[in-house]
Amino acid sequence: MPNRRDFVAGLLATGLAPRASWADAGAPVLLAAGKRNDANFVLCGLNASGDIVFEQPLPGRGHAAAAHPKRPEAVVFARRPGRFALVMDCVTGAVLARIDSPQGRHFYGHGTFSGDGRWLFTTENDYDAARGCVGVWDAGLGYRRAGEFASGGVGPHDIRTLPDGETLVVANGGIETHPETGRTKLNLPDMRSNLSYLTPDGTVLAQAEMDAVWHRNSIRHLAVARDGRVAFATQWQGEISDTPPLWGLHRMGGVRRLPNPRTDLSRDMVGYAGSIAISADGTRVAITSPKGGQMHEYDAGQGTLLQRTHVPDVCGVAALGDRFIWTTGGGQVLGTNLRTYPIQWDNHLIAITGGI
Amino acid sequence: MRALGLALILCVLGNTAWADTPDLGGIVDHHILPGYRALAEDAAALDDAAQADCAPNNEALRAAYGQAFDAWIAVSHLRFGPSEKLDRAFALAFWPDPRSKTPKTLLALLAAQDPVVAKIQTFRDVSIAVRGFYALEFLLYDTQFVEADEVYTCALIRAIAADIALNATGILADWEGGYADLLRLLENDIYRTEEEATRQLFTALLAGLEFTSDARLGRPLGSFERPRPKRAEAWRSGRSLRHVVMSLHATRALAYDLSRGDTALDAAFTSVIADAEALEDPIFAGVSDPASRFRVEALKARIDDLRNALAEDLGLRLGIVAGFNSLDGD
Repeated sequence: MPNRRDFVAGLLATGLAPRASWADAGAPVLLAAGKRNDANFVLCGLNASGDIVFEQPLPGRGHAAAAHPKRPEAVVFARRPGRFALVMDCVTGAVLARIDSPQGRHFYGHGTFSGDGRWLFTTENDYDAARGCVGVWDAGLGYRRAGEFASGGVGPHDIRTLPDGETLVVANGGIETHPETGRTKLNLPDMRSNLSYLTPDGTVLAQAEMDAVWHRNSIRHLAVARDGRVAFATQWQGEISDTPPLWGLHRMGGVRRLPNPRTDLSRDMVGYAGSIAISADGTRVAITSPKGGQMHEYDAGQGTLLQRTHVPDVCGVAALGDRFIWTTGGGQVLGTNLRTYPIQWDNHLIAITGGI
Repeated sequence: MRALGLALILCVLGNTAWADTPDLGGIVDHHILPGYRALAEDAAALDDAAQADCAPNNEALRAAYGQAFDAWIAVSHLRFGPSEKLDRAFALAFWPDPRSKTPKTLLALLAAQDPVVAKIQTFRDVSIAVRGFYALEFLLYDTQFVEADEVYTCALIRAIAADIALNATGILADWEGGYADLLRLLENDIYRTEEEATRQLFTALLAGLEFTSDARLGRPLGSFERPRPKRAEAWRSGRSLRHVVMSLHATRALAYDLSRGDTALDAAFTSVIADAEALEDPIFAGVSDPASRFRVEALKARIDDLRNALAEDLGLRLGIVAGFNSLDGD
């Protein structure tokens, strides 16, 4: 007997169905890209127990994804310096649209939807001008490009929508790269990373920069609490033996708040936080370091360490309510009933806000 | 051939028993310190040559420049510790320079007859783009500078040469004055364990190969539709291919020591170096011609394969966690 998912997929194919919802995709609450042991790349939806509820093939290795807040659609980005992203129907597996970065731009692998689901915003590199950009795509019109604006810095990476559904926060990593020199970092002596808050039409509302002493600390990844605080994770571009703070919390307009780093913690992370998440109640922050094989959980208010675990190649982390779910390159999904899949999970685990 | 070479490395590395930990003291004494001593000596000789005769077409000066630049390339993969202090390595080697800051800033200094060049102390505060070997190359080999105001370019050449010498001596002094022991003796704030020190050297090895592939080869290759031969490293002085070969030799030596003399790995380097030398295209002019371009592309691919094999297999043997996410984070 066909289940609801197959039934709806069939109806959708005939064009007879009402609009599909995330429930029709098996009610996933998390998205993760990965590489199957048979070498095929996939995008998976996971439920709160860590079960894979859908698995759709991808043409190449993904990086992060963005989940549409209402429709069961996910945008999967190619790895940096990727020039395309696919919009997938997570019910049928159909590719609804392919978006290509315009001439002279490439994607950084992250994007976010406006709260109403109408617009998709992508971080991009205007590489000949060494200027960070945000591309705007009309999700109501087949993901047509609707415009772009400056991201407020160099090397924008993660981008998130604040709880008002409109304000964007961008992690401008500060590092200049050019596709013709691969991943070579071109401006380390004078790099400067910042968090920029922008309106959907690109007006800069506020910015917060790293302190001069940590100017080689690159803000890369973000998580937003329900009260609008932004948790950010950094990657240190200086000496391995330096011990920079690797995460912090910030509220638009406020001063930046960085916890006092405990030397051994920063060292064990090898100066590198790969992902960050904040619990729904905003009291705890989780960061990962695949380079150091570390998952850390902190008290968001005090900055004190609550828990640390050594897990090789852990990178993805997302908050499900007040608990954290983690994924590893070894196929593990942690924080729920332990599952190990024959899939090497890629860098990020994305929570689907419209998924429940 | 490429696939075969890679298969060979994987096979041999895969069959080797758990390797010993590397001889860190040996790497310091036989790889790092001799490299920085040579750089300090050759940079001092360059400074002497520039103070003696600053004419850009003076053969003694150009020879001293070439020798000091060679010495830099031989250590250019060792980007940690003393080389990063005070941005010394960036001041020695500001390249790649995609928006041409070096020639633009040099021209601006020249146009303004900026007196910062008169004293080494003030010169060291100017833009990092006009310091080091790549800025000096413009003054010695680029016609728009060689034929410019002689008095001012002379002062500029002398200031850059003196600055190069100061940075080179500074790096060596820091290595000999304590940093070498940090790496040798361990259990200090910089290197708490053997694994941390090994990781530093392993990272330097991979980063060195990546830079050769991404920048030294990737930059002139550009795209098939738009090759960029004039973006090759140090093409004005005819050194582009030379740098690729020299840096491969340098990373080969480090890989040999880190792997405790793995002969199969060494043979893989030998084969890649032979391919590089066989290009016989000193400034990668051939990237514009599809027939010769593919050989440069093939060399780049072989270096990438070598790096990937090292990352996975040598990383595993050294006890450094290498995984799907940890290898190329973002």
